Amino acid sequence: MEQNAPRKVALIANCLLNQNAKVCQGAHYRGVVSPVVEALRRRGYLLQQLPCPELAFAGVRRWWAVYEQYDTPAYRDHCRRLAQAIAPRIEAYLRHGDEVILIGLDGSPSTGVRFTSSAPDWGGRPNRPQDDWHIVPRRGIWIEELEAELARRGLPPLPATGWALDMGRFDEAGSRRDLEQFLDNREIAAGSQRADPAPP
Amino acid sequence: MTHDARGWRIALLPDTLINAPAAAAAGLPDVLGILELNGYGVLQLPPPGEHRRLLAVIADQVAEYAHHGYAVVAIGVRGEPGDGLHWRRLAPLLRHRGVKLPPRHIIRPDLDAVVEGQRLAGFLSGYDLPVEEQRRWRV
Repeated sequence: MEQNAPRKVALIANCLLNQNAKVCQGAHYRGVVSPVVEALRRRGYLLQQLPCPELAFAGVRRWWAVYEQYDTPAYRDHCRRLAQAIAPRIEAYLRHGDEVILIGLDGSPSTGVRFTSSAPDWGGRPNRPQDDWHIVPRRGIWIEELEAELARRGLPPLPATGWALDMGRFDEAGSRRDLEQFLDNREIAAGSQRADPAPP
Repeated sequence: MTHDARGWRIALLPDTLINAPAAAAAGLPDVLGILELNGYGVLQLPPPGEHRRLLAVIADQVAEYAHHGYAVVAIGVRGEPGDGLHWRRLAPLLRHRGVKLPPRHIIRPDLDAVVEGQRLAGFLSGYDLPVEEQRRWRV
């Protein structure tokens, strides 16, 4: 491939390469989430790992939490700082003309793309033996702040989806089908653009 | 900790070992695959260049792991500036955070990729924290 040819780049949630970043009892793999990495590499994507905002803020021994608990000025400041650290890498890809997509972690209060977890009444002494949070269709806080930082730099919105790891019951086969469909639809769209006749 | 699959081991990995150009990839072992087989997670380092803020963010993450019972190693590759590890900047950042420097393993692209892969697998499978440290944290 030519040095300057456009590339395909996938920004991926930190824990998709490193399950040690997950909250206790949240890791479904030892380290690398291989179905995600395989699906992306097979289609020629370069990988760019994002920082994990929760790990560096509340630590690796943090309690489980929902969107409303992380929705604080201090946490958003922290996410903005991380976004400013990784944005130059993303900007370099986009300015080079690369196709950049974002794969977050659906259901996560921070890294959710299509869905995040919500429970306005969570707080105080941890005593939630049942899964009593709700999955709601919105971005997690880290993804909100990352997208805001890219917009501040005048960069276009990125096509994005999430690996559905934090949706309550994890369905690996369903998540894999969902991700592959997202990726293949992009291939089809890119193929039909290439097939369009050139303008006169 | 119940129902949790984490491996408690993490490798710092240069960008070029994750996103090797096709020409270079042929001469390198499949490092990501070998890390996965050995149950390691990955922290991706940026390519050569100035990445002051990003390296500080990565150092914060390494410190958090190192201070809570995780084993961290660094996998470099000969021929890249600083073996691809940004060590001249990263090492002081880690020391400043009270982190003992992770052991380094350097891959040699000039040697047979299969043999280099075996050497890497041997290093990875043989490394972990002392048992008493593991018992302290990994419950």
